[in-house]
Amino acid sequence: MRLFAEPRLQLEVDVDMSLLDERPLDETPVPEAPEQEPIEEQVPFRPRALVRSERVELLLAVASGVTGSAVMCLLFDWTQPLTFAIWALLLFLGSTYLLARDSQSPIVATDRLITTLVWTSGGIAVSVLLWMLGYVVVKGIAGLNFEYLTSDLSKVGPLDDGGGVFHAIVGTLEQMLIASVLSIPIAILTAVYLHEIRGRLAGIVRFVIDAMSGLPSIVAGLFIYTVWVLQGRGPSGLAAGLALAILMIPTVTRTAEEMLKTIDDGLRESALALGAPQWRSVMQVVLPTARSGLITASILGVARAVGETAPVLLTAFGSSSINWSPFNGPQADLPLYIYQLLRQPNPAQIARAWSGALVLVLLVLILFVLARVIGERGARVRGGSR
Amino acid sequence: MTTVQSPQTAETPAANRQVVSSEILPEELHPSSRIDATDVTCWFGKRKVLERCTLSMEPGEVTALIGPSGCGKSTFLRSLNRMHELVPVAAIAGTIELDGVDIYSEEMSPTEVRSRIGMVFQKPNPFPAMSIADNVLAGLSLSGMSNEDPKALVEQCLRRAGLWAEVSDRLNEGGMSLSGGQQQRLCIARALAVHPDVLLMDEPCSALDPISTRVIEQTIRELCEEITIVIVTHNMQQAQRVSDKCAFFLVESIGDPGRIVEAGPTTQVFENPSDPRTYDYVTGQFG
Repeated sequence: MRLFAEPRLQLEVDVDMSLLDERPLDETPVPEAPEQEPIEEQVPFRPRALVRSERVELLLAVASGVTGSAVMCLLFDWTQPLTFAIWALLLFLGSTYLLARDSQSPIVATDRLITTLVWTSGGIAVSVLLWMLGYVVVKGIAGLNFEYLTSDLSKVGPLDDGGGVFHAIVGTLEQMLIASVLSIPIAILTAVYLHEIRGRLAGIVRFVIDAMSGLPSIVAGLFIYTVWVLQGRGPSGLAAGLALAILMIPTVTRTAEEMLKTIDDGLRESALALGAPQWRSVMQVVLPTARSGLITASILGVARAVGETAPVLLTAFGSSSINWSPFNGPQADLPLYIYQLLRQPNPAQIARAWSGALVLVLLVLILFVLARVIGERGARVRGGSR
Repeated sequence: MTTVQSPQTAETPAANRQVVSSEILPEELHPSSRIDATDVTCWFGKRKVLERCTLSMEPGEVTALIGPSGCGKSTFLRSLNRMHELVPVAAIAGTIELDGVDIYSEEMSPTEVRSRIGMVFQKPNPFPAMSIADNVLAGLSLSGMSNEDPKALVEQCLRRAGLWAEVSDRLNEGGMSLSGGQQQRLCIARALAVHPDVLLMDEPCSALDPISTRVIEQTIRELCEEITIVIVTHNMQQAQRVSDKCAFFLVESIGDPGRIVEAGPTTQVFENPSDPRTYDYVTGQFG
């Protein structure tokens, strides 16, 4: 409001001055400065914030949900916490609706119910994720130390302490690198074919890619096992990389295609109107503009492949000692390490498996952040301000 | 040098333009070219959107294409540099000659046509992944040309587009950081960098505010000395302000293809049109 108030005051001064101008000079009194009325500090309010009565209703709904469920648990002798939680949630939603219907109207109540439902669903998704992550951290943090990260299992007996995950980390990184190098260029070029070139076979290619994305990972593993491992080449990290690449291609392709769809057609037309052949327009304009989206697509592909156990089991076989070469001999990787240790009947091995799970989660996190940083930096170097 | 951007340029054009051409422009600049379109008919699939349009766009002149929405002006413009055919179902008949050579013949490739006949679009669309300077130079690498002195070319093109004074200290910032009007002038500079003989403009000011529009109109008047310009516009005053020649497109009744009703010097089309339909349109009685 301050913005409006000041020009208005200014205007009054102008009017006074113009009247004064017609008087003889000597009689002109010094014009008094108009008195500034003190402007009250305004109190902002947020129209969408919960008002008091709504807060009370929310509290009441929560209370009735919790107490109702508690009473039911006592009455029927239910002991599972999950049962309690589900009933509490249902009673909470029911009372939210009823309270709003009584205090306002059925329409408002339905609106509130849906809103609450959406919030609750989001909350449940996040809390399950946090619960799971927390579980992995709690179980795995104890065994996580420098020695664990830098040694393998080759000299560790089943009941010994020590030993580590280093060989599995090396295996995972090498296999993911191979799979990414093989699959990401193919996938992005396929996306270019589907959306930029729109060739005659685009429909068929898209269908095949969709079918591939539903391919069970063990089938990809079996395929490489049959055509590669069994053909005298033996298990290796490279074989695992091949199987994982098959799994990554559909994910990266479809996501990359969606990203290309978001690029304004005007940019393509401008590039062509400057006399560019289509391949230059794609390489110099479309792909650089879609850069961060393409990085996202690649990240999703890596995320799909990094947690796969079955194809690696069939192609790299796993190993308890370090194998630096991905081209020769069995190699471990993190999911396989976890799987193999968890099946052993002694607590030391199971504890190592949990630590391995934590390492896998952290590794994925680091890769994601790294990819994002690279993408952002690229955008900033080019001076994009979006 | 500042006269290029100053608003006074429009009022005293001749003298300033002389200064501009002698100091900034390279000597080997193309002489202006002409485009002759004869009996151009355009289809999208089976729908005929334009029928037997014949129009000559003279060297060094600004030709304005006017008419109500959907009358085929943009289609006609896009057929002039082979952008029409980017729609897969598009088809065309008739001849379009650039300095006597049919642009649809085998003597010219689409990419050559497009680098000789540049285009500026309705919506300003600098390349987001490039800096201002890279945007200007984009056409060179995109069309496989090279330039010994890219810095000078950037300056020259930005000056000709009337943008140099505003961006000379931030050439490495992103093109999207500019305002709408500046972005459009950047697109003009980008189109100029490949030294086109003709510049097509598809409603270049319709997304801009009046001040930016004025600057761009000034730029058009300055450019037309060296380059042939064809502009589509919905704005009748703009057509009068910038064009030497005017072609009025019209769809007679729904479903018909668009045709050129009248073409001639702008003053004649606006002040003394020979066709009553043109009179009705330019005096605002319909459309």
